[in-house]
Amino acid sequence: MNRVGAAMSAASNGPDPAQSGLEGYAPDPGRGDVYATASPAIAARWQDVARAIRVSGADGANKAQAYLKRHVEDLGLAFRLTGDQQERPWPLTPMPIIIAADEWRRVEDGLIERAELLEAVIADLYGEQKLVSEGKIPAPIVAGSKDFARKMVGVTPPSGQHLYVYGVDLARGPTGEWRILADRVRLPTGIGYAIENRIALSRGTGSLLASIGVEGHNAFLEAMRGGIAARCPREDPRIALLTPGPFNQSYPEQAHLARYLGFPLVEGRDLTVRDSRLYVRSIAGLKRIDALWRWIDARNLDPLAFDSRSQIGVTDLFSACDEGQLVVANWPGSGVVEARAMAAILPRLARTLGGARLKLPNAATWWCGQERECAHVLRHLDELVISSAFRNPVAGLEDARTRMGASFVGAERDALIAAIRRRPMDYVGQEIVHQSTTPCLVDGQFEPRAFTIRTFLTRDADGQWTMMPGGFARISQAGALRAPLMRADDLSADVCIVEEWHDRPAAAPVKLVPPRIRRAASELTSQAADNLFWLGRYAERTAMTARVIRTLLATAGGSAQDTTSATVRSRISALLAGWHAVNPGGGTPEGLATVALGSREHPGAIIAQIEAMRRMARLLREHLTADSWRIVNRGMPIYTALDSDSLAAASEILIDRISALSGLVAENMGRSWGWRFLEMGMRIERASACIDAARRMIPGSASADDLSALLDLFDCRYLYRGRYLAIPFVAPVLDMILLDPNHPRTLAFQIGRLQDHIAALPSLADDGMAEAPLRLVRAISARIAALDATKLDDWTIGDLGQSIRDLSDAISHRFFLPVERPKARVAAALPE
Amino acid sequence: MIYHVRHLSTLTYDSAVDEARFNIRLKPIESPRQRLLNYRLSVTPLPHRRRERFGPYPVNTTRLEIDAPLGELSVLSEFSVEVFTPPPLGATSPTIAHVRRAAVDLADLGMFAPAAYLFSSRLATIEREIGVWAAPYLDPGAAIVPSILALSSALHAQFAYRPGATDTDTPPIEAFRARHGVCQDFAHILIVGLRAHGIPAAYLAGYIRTVPPPGMPRLIGADAMHAWVNVWCGPDLGWIAIDPTNDRVADEDYVVVAMGRDYADVSPVDGVYLGSPRQTTRVEVDMMPQDL
Repeated sequence: MNRVGAAMSAASNGPDPAQSGLEGYAPDPGRGDVYATASPAIAARWQDVARAIRVSGADGANKAQAYLKRHVEDLGLAFRLTGDQQERPWPLTPMPIIIAADEWRRVEDGLIERAELLEAVIADLYGEQKLVSEGKIPAPIVAGSKDFARKMVGVTPPSGQHLYVYGVDLARGPTGEWRILADRVRLPTGIGYAIENRIALSRGTGSLLASIGVEGHNAFLEAMRGGIAARCPREDPRIALLTPGPFNQSYPEQAHLARYLGFPLVEGRDLTVRDSRLYVRSIAGLKRIDALWRWIDARNLDPLAFDSRSQIGVTDLFSACDEGQLVVANWPGSGVVEARAMAAILPRLARTLGGARLKLPNAATWWCGQERECAHVLRHLDELVISSAFRNPVAGLEDARTRMGASFVGAERDALIAAIRRRPMDYVGQEIVHQSTTPCLVDGQFEPRAFTIRTFLTRDADGQWTMMPGGFARISQAGALRAPLMRADDLSADVCIVEEWHDRPAAAPVKLVPPRIRRAASELTSQAADNLFWLGRYAERTAMTARVIRTLLATAGGSAQDTTSATVRSRISALLAGWHAVNPGGGTPEGLATVALGSREHPGAIIAQIEAMRRMARLLREHLTADSWRIVNRGMPIYTALDSDSLAAASEILIDRISALSGLVAENMGRSWGWRFLEMGMRIERASACIDAARRMIPGSASADDLSALLDLFDCRYLYRGRYLAIPFVAPVLDMILLDPNHPRTLAFQIGRLQDHIAALPSLADDGMAEAPLRLVRAISARIAALDATKLDDWTIGDLGQSIRDLSDAISHRFFLPVERPKARVAAALPE
Repeated sequence: MIYHVRHLSTLTYDSAVDEARFNIRLKPIESPRQRLLNYRLSVTPLPHRRRERFGPYPVNTTRLEIDAPLGELSVLSEFSVEVFTPPPLGATSPTIAHVRRAAVDLADLGMFAPAAYLFSSRLATIEREIGVWAAPYLDPGAAIVPSILALSSALHAQFAYRPGATDTDTPPIEAFRARHGVCQDFAHILIVGLRAHGIPAAYLAGYIRTVPPPGMPRLIGADAMHAWVNVWCGPDLGWIAIDPTNDRVADEDYVVVAMGRDYADVSPVDGVYLGSPRQTTRVEVDMMPQDL
């Protein structure tokens, strides 16, 4: 590869219209660089984009890169490498790859032809198997694939269609020819990233993409939704996205896709099969599911029908496929065509079936299970790459990674040849695909880098295939790209398709079906309701703990506050200890505040609440507005341990943050059931905080200082002063904290709101009786209304606390999934 | 030879489980070697729904759905079966190289076709270590039948039969390294050794007649299910069943219940339920020849 960066002129501080933006970019002419070989009209678009992207900020850092980084963070775009505990930020690079629409249409033609061929192969393998019995597909190519779901043979999808989404990895060669590197029908990983890349890039570069006429992705997504919906037997069907859960490598993209498509995001445990029909467990009872977009491997889909070890599947989902008219995208078992061995025979199969050569070739592949092909591979070992035919570890390729044939030398080579002779069907040889390069921004300069593109096809409502106008590109920092997943040092880029001439009419738009108009989001899974409820509780607990810390720090002296007595301090530290935010026994205010903020040993410390909130946020991406999500996903504020001012400042940041969240929840969130659960979580937590605080601050001889501190905790010291014009006394304070139904921080107010929410939720009872949560909240409400603050004793307050815990339990029991949800396998009788 | 078999399995939970779903795989398959004369499966308590299915390997599966809370499940499988004496092993057999080639080339994806039993399966994953151990017995130029018998004898000689040392989930490689196990481990190790060399091998589950010592009555209820191996020896010989635990060719003393890629395909009982109590399993098997 040519090193051209050093020869480039110094980075400019602004766009210079006289410059192309790509001056000095000099890729190796032999590599067929995608910019260098573009037509003049397309090259001009490259230059428009390059000029805009090259602009540096005052600090010399690249502006586009910085913008992009922020948008990637705001979108929560992230991924994991296998083995990662934490998500990594998505390595999006600003310079897109620009491809002429004419060239892309030729690729599309070839891929549509291939999608139809794959559909025909899958339909045969799970049907008559004539292609096998007639010798057109060797049986081991099918049997060797771990995605061949033998149980699905004879089980036909309701619409006859097996494939809905088809992903494909493409490489562009030195002479501009495109080659298929891999077919992906099992899991369409990357489709969400392609969409997110585009959103981040368009936000990061303003009107730039629109100005060069880049085609958007909305029509593609609409086509996909319409394509799945059209195959469902019921009108206005319910379609869910089935995820393996938050620990999956591509969970973030699944959550984004669910939000874009408006599909509920469900895990296996949210679903249940009754009499061969699939249902989601929602807060309004079981709701029938018509179609699933599955992101779970077929073998993990159903522990009863497939692998009994699966913890993420849905028991008996197989019978919903077999007898329940369930539409599944893609149909379980479709992955059988992903085998590399299959790619070896597809070109010939296409000729025997259709009589013509495939328009778009895949990388030339020789399957060693065939005698002649095996001999070819062994003869040309040095000119080929050697891969596992079914992508699993095999002798010589223990990590299942593709290797250059030439890299096997000496004893290793002998061992490989012996292994191929023993089990030839496990190996393929493939031609070495040379990849052309693309300009990539590296330290402010454009440098040529090899790339591959993953793009996607879907069926529209008429069942016709259509291709995404673009895709996501992986750019290699080193060498060729063969691994299916992102590697640590790979970059990702957007792929933009542009018409050569702006005035040219665009291709016929995809046929779209407008959705039926709805208002309130009418459904909520039990799992999401549970998560929203707890998100509300964690948020409110964070704010409450921060308020207590602030009040505690104010007792440290030095300030003009009057809450300096030692009893205040001990009462407040007891309150924190009761929440498991500090150890019982007290300490200095700074010491206690440091523990209550950031101790990892204390489950009640704020850091634990913040982490719990972020965990919930990851599960709730599709339920929160973008701004709420940003707030919830923020980490701990920075502070200095044992420094009173710094700790107080951090507490106030947290108080402000949660107030902002409450504001957004109140003002920006749709009045859905989800909103009600989030609110209910906050209200329950606030109600129990009222009681906990009152019980710690009042008993015995509460001084005016103690009572002032209590008023402070609920931000109503000035309200009290204004109402009573006196120092605090027990009964008026208790009335202001607990019983006044018109002040938004009292217990009574929380109960009133809870009652409104619970009354608005759906009921499962068909006998007209109120359900347990509603009966309970009404009882609490009536009891509070009858209380007199002057006669309130500790026992009564404590008993109210118990009834609030009972209310929380009743809500969990009625609306959330059973706690006892792990599915145990049956250990079977051991043969002897 | 005609046998009457009675197999009672009882699963007991220390606290009741909900929404239980079970797969019961106890009804013997029919084949040219055996004919099922009658069959009855009795389940207590009565399931909400019961479905029968054959396949996708030669396995009969009964699916039970029990919606009421379940504390104890008992499954009684009773049948009479006629087993025919297999033909004696002929003097000629194809070479291992010939069988390997034929296994890959055969244009058949059916449940008795070799292709299904050629690759790693969930429990019987191909392991290099086991392949290396089997290599001296599996010379590509040698005739297949004596070679696989020699491999089975080697397994029998080098590995100790030790009940309780392994469980149903033990990977073959662990039993291989420990050099001991039960019949399931013996079968898995033999399967892996053969597949590593490109020879199709299947797992057979069923019953074996326990011949009582002279003058002693047969012990009732002492028997359990047994496991052995089917080896594909080319299109002419087809499948030959070998029992490495007892180092013999399976004959009319053996009743096959099911054939699969490994234990997971044929396990007599598995399933899922809500709840996580302790489960205890009790099994009684009686296999009575008709003339006794």
